[in-house]
Amino acid sequence: MLKVENVKKAFGPVTVLDGVNLTVNPGEVVSILGSSGSGKSTLIRCINGLEKLNAGKITVDDFDVSKPKELAEARKRSGTVFQLFNLYPHMTALQNITLAPIEVLKRPKAEAEAEGRALLTQVGLGDRADAYPAQLSGGQRQRVGICRALAMKPRYLLLDEVTSALDPEMTSEVLDILAKLAKDGTTMVFVTHEIEFARQISNRIVFLEKGVLLVDLPTEKFFAADGGLAQPRVAQFLSKMRKD
Amino acid sequence: MRFAEFTPYDIVLLLQGLGVTVGLFLITSLIGLLVGVLWGVVRFYRIPVLMQLVTFVSEILKNSPVLVQLFLVFFGFPAFFHVNVTPVQAAIVTLSANTAAFVYVIAVSSIESIGRDQVEAARVFGLSRWQVLRHVIAPQAAAFSIGPLTALLVNQLQVTSLISVIGVLDLAKIGATLNLRTLKPFIVWTAVGILYYLAAKAVASLGAWAEKRLRAHSAFRGL
Repeated sequence: MLKVENVKKAFGPVTVLDGVNLTVNPGEVVSILGSSGSGKSTLIRCINGLEKLNAGKITVDDFDVSKPKELAEARKRSGTVFQLFNLYPHMTALQNITLAPIEVLKRPKAEAEAEGRALLTQVGLGDRADAYPAQLSGGQRQRVGICRALAMKPRYLLLDEVTSALDPEMTSEVLDILAKLAKDGTTMVFVTHEIEFARQISNRIVFLEKGVLLVDLPTEKFFAADGGLAQPRVAQFLSKMRKD
Repeated sequence: MRFAEFTPYDIVLLLQGLGVTVGLFLITSLIGLLVGVLWGVVRFYRIPVLMQLVTFVSEILKNSPVLVQLFLVFFGFPAFFHVNVTPVQAAIVTLSANTAAFVYVIAVSSIESIGRDQVEAARVFGLSRWQVLRHVIAPQAAAFSIGPLTALLVNQLQVTSLISVIGVLDLAKIGATLNLRTLKPFIVWTAVGILYYLAAKAVASLGAWAEKRLRAHSAFRGL
């Protein structure tokens, strides 16, 4: 279980997360919606230990990310996919994927490479294993980014606006893969602006507004008039997003 | 009678001088690179005290003339520490330290040129700081720094000529000797200059070759 308890985070005078509570159970897909600056990415960065909490507690399968010794274990259980891919530019697609399994999980190189190739094949990049990130399109890069996270066999996949740097065509390349992962029962925390897609794959949707978790509802209920839409802010957000 | 003609043996002398110059250059560059990179790593780990000390020493070495440093080592060590240093020892100490100071600056700026996103991308997958440095930062920083490093080394090769003033028989000293004997400065210094040029060119070509290899993933293709 991934548990966020009363988390507060401020950057100087700016409060970004203000008492957020969230629980993600294995097998669930939880989408996090909210306008830019609402704290979605910061929440992800707190979960994977890139930001220190000011207050509260985050545990990944009972490993506390605030404790350096437990953070390593927590990080082994969660895989992050970044908005801007963050691939290592000096490594091929395959090397990007196998670095952490070889160095952190101490997997034999040949095994890690075989698995890396299998993952690349799954996302339709079987023939691009030896390409450098600069030689790949945005959608291809993000698919490599997803493989890099999956190669660690994470129990929780953290996705931070993974399609917001991509055009619609490339977005669908990436979303198709995520839909497949969701169907296979991968646990995901999915920060996104792709509302329709979130609706299709999520079990639950949470809505962040100015660092406060305004709504946390099952997907059906979130889009129901007496559920999430009853919140004026959510209704406003959804109607604006749909117009675009 | 004064023997003022060139002899074939002069070529041997020049080549000997070139050997001393290149030899000292290689030794001091190697030490300078190792020490400078080590200082850069100290800074990467933000080791307190040591980090400030390294910055302080490198500031002094960068901002004072090599000739002054050379004199301080050559005359200062015997005077203040009662340690006798030969001209070659003084040259090795001074040039290595000077190279290290500049390598340190290049190492720091190239490490810091690697975006935070790279460090984060590696840390979230559980790589330790050392693993991040070794697998993610160092290869990218090396590619970034190879240009400035080559420029530095080409310059340091010319700087070795300063050690002739404390009596090391390097290429410049041999040139000065030949010049005094033959009184044909244009011929002697042209020959010496060509030899320095060829040595520097070799260093630059080596640098270009290394750069091409290290930047295979991101060759600059013009604007």
